[in-house]
Amino acid sequence: MSDKNKGLGKAREIYLDSSRRPKDLRAAGKKIIGYPCVYVPLEMLTALDLVPYRTCGDIKEPVTEADRVLPHSFCPIMRNCLDCALKNKNNFLDGMVTIHSSDPQEKTARIWESYTHYPYFHFIDMPITVRPEALEYFKGQLNDFRKTLEAFTAKKLSTDNLETAIKSHNQQRVLVRKLYELTKTSPPRISGTEIVQVVKALTSLPVAEGNDLLTETISEVKNRSDGPDKKSARLLIWSSTLDDTDIMQVFEAKANVVMNESCGGVRAYRGEVKLTADPLEGLADYYLNEITCARTFRQATLGETRKDYARDLQSRFGYLGGTIKEWKINGVIMLLVRYCDPFAFEMPSLKDYLSSLGIPSTYIEYDYTTGALAPLRTRVEAFVETISQ
Amino acid sequence: MVVAKQKKTINRLKSMYPLRAKVNETYLKSIEAIQAGKPAVWGMLNFYYGDPILKAMDIEVVYPENYGAIAAAMGVARQYLDRADAEGFPTHLCGYSLTTLGYASRMMKELQGQIPPEAPLGGMPKPLFLMSSAAICDARYKWFQALGRYMDVPVWPLEAPIPGIKEFFIEGYYDRMVKLGVKHLRDFVAFVEGMVGKRMDWDKLDKTADLMIEVNRVWHEVNELRKAKPCPMHSRDFWSAMPAALFLAGDLEDSLRLYQDMYGEVKDRVNNHVGTIPDEKYRLVFAELPPWHSLAFFDKLAERGWDFVIESVGYHPPIPIDLSKVSDPLERITKFSLQFLVGYYEDARKQSVLGGTTAYPYLKYAQEWKCDGALLHPLISCRSASTHLPYVSDMLMEKLKVPSLSIEGDIVDLRLFNPEDALAKAEPFEETMEYYRKMRKQAGFDW
Repeated sequence: MSDKNKGLGKAREIYLDSSRRPKDLRAAGKKIIGYPCVYVPLEMLTALDLVPYRTCGDIKEPVTEADRVLPHSFCPIMRNCLDCALKNKNNFLDGMVTIHSSDPQEKTARIWESYTHYPYFHFIDMPITVRPEALEYFKGQLNDFRKTLEAFTAKKLSTDNLETAIKSHNQQRVLVRKLYELTKTSPPRISGTEIVQVVKALTSLPVAEGNDLLTETISEVKNRSDGPDKKSARLLIWSSTLDDTDIMQVFEAKANVVMNESCGGVRAYRGEVKLTADPLEGLADYYLNEITCARTFRQATLGETRKDYARDLQSRFGYLGGTIKEWKINGVIMLLVRYCDPFAFEMPSLKDYLSSLGIPSTYIEYDYTTGALAPLRTRVEAFVETISQ
Repeated sequence: MVVAKQKKTINRLKSMYPLRAKVNETYLKSIEAIQAGKPAVWGMLNFYYGDPILKAMDIEVVYPENYGAIAAAMGVARQYLDRADAEGFPTHLCGYSLTTLGYASRMMKELQGQIPPEAPLGGMPKPLFLMSSAAICDARYKWFQALGRYMDVPVWPLEAPIPGIKEFFIEGYYDRMVKLGVKHLRDFVAFVEGMVGKRMDWDKLDKTADLMIEVNRVWHEVNELRKAKPCPMHSRDFWSAMPAALFLAGDLEDSLRLYQDMYGEVKDRVNNHVGTIPDEKYRLVFAELPPWHSLAFFDKLAERGWDFVIESVGYHPPIPIDLSKVSDPLERITKFSLQFLVGYYEDARKQSVLGGTTAYPYLKYAQEWKCDGALLHPLISCRSASTHLPYVSDMLMEKLKVPSLSIEGDIVDLRLFNPEDALAKAEPFEETMEYYRKMRKQAGFDW
């Protein structure tokens, strides 16, 4: 068993009680700001000495309070997140930042703001395209975010502080990618379950502490002798969110998950924010353009008047091709959180793309509850058996 | 034996029929033109943003959302839904989108681009391009992107900013929305010009924009008259008459004249205290999309004295604003379209109702149209038209003591709406409305 105070052991402890560190920090005088989605530019919070805390759901928590305010046929993750908030599980937060990264996020933000009473609440609108005028608009949104943060903290957000924060968060992105380098071996040196714990821990810590945790973890994993066993399949999971170890363990019972392509995995860490003369420009570009979530409308050429399906698939899913090759992935599970429309519409096209690479894939849907685990297990076992023959 | 024709309970507006006939005639003319080889575009309801541009360019537009409703009402949607399911699209996606995806799959994979013979009302031909919209829901741009699997047809997704209610009042916010819209539309015009191979007639666009704004102003005024007691116009007339203003269906000068006629008829009814139903016992607001396939349901409720006096905020015209001094037609179109989204923000902020663009108007509706209750229609496969409904219900009760009745259904899957079950809930809800009528009086409300 690893040391609970560093590396993997520490990540596991934070995963199991993600609000403990923010609560301690708050007791020490820090302000804690919640955010539900990886599209929120955390650099701006860090630069003002605010502690970002990702408000995740809990699949073991039955949704009761959110039933009053959201319909059943709605993103179960957002229902679950809001439910936790309505049950005062996030009452240590000093504020909340929400963003229009998808419709459920936008609609839940309105409800969240209406039924809770944090001292600070801000909503960032986000365009759907990466066109120049959309980037310009989004940059304006980030500037408004800056204004409200400055008013809340009574501090100026200086360019120097913002650049320093960008560098720290970029370092975190580099370190997460280094961690994922350790899944390239067969067997991988770190499991998908352990990475879920690490990534969730990162979203509950100030960036500097997160970077220390990653550095320790990478060192520990490189030197460990008790890594995961080799399984017959090396999987990539493609999903909106896979941030729970119970779910990941369903996959890892039969396979090595070497890439978690979701916002509970590598998605928020794939690229880096460019240091631009106006830091908001680099941030706008990174968050709108670089994060590869299905919510963004991408096309082979902006404003194209001719369309070619193969080029279209490349523009939407091409980022997966290199990963599949380098990590020697032999199967992809497209894990759909029920009612997640942006990802749901992608399923047949992603399958087409993967088929063009000769990679078998399957689409599995679940509803972010423990009740979904048994049927999920059956589907995963069948798929792994198929690709292992 | 001669059977006397049963008189309908709802007293429909005479002026609605020529307006509706004009819309239907335009649709059929459009289909004929397309069948004769004129290029067609598939468009998404875009809240006035892209439509005037296509109209000024004399492009025929078909709306798969509307077509999904038609296919459902005429009983042919099922096969398209099944086909979309077989293609791997999750069944909980928007019913309209699944209908279109199944339709496109059949047309392109089985019939090599020919319109399916079973398609009602002439079907939808393969488009020249697709115009999607980010307004209101994710499905409306992801769905057209997904059609690329069947048709190598370019897509233009129209941006539609949605500010937070507090955030909208940050200095410079509105101007940035306008800047985004104008630049976006200018590029869209260039895209359309490239697609159809002709230049925009800017004078025609100028005139089209003015007519669109005026048509919607008159249409807004018609709906304002519905505050009268008894209500002079039922929701069924609203839904029948709205396409000419919402989709700019038909010739806009004709539409303007017909909406003016409608204003005249409704005003006459107000002056003469003529209502839409014989005995208006209860005034109700309806939210959101009606059960298109079962509209006779409202006749049954009318027999009980239920009058639907206002409805479906997403289909209503924006609150009029003076744009006469805005010389650039693209800026005028942008500001008019934005008014649909943010027209209620000032009031919503004052009343601390932060629940989104589509929630606050129901508070205003209930208060100003003096509603006794709200009939909410959450849809299984349309989350955008359903998500805010529990909040609307809460808000109506908390702020106005107006109760809500929720009846689930779907836009396409007829099996999910049970009119008998819904009618069984009517009587107990009447008791609830009576009770809260007393509560409102005690609380000092004037209805």
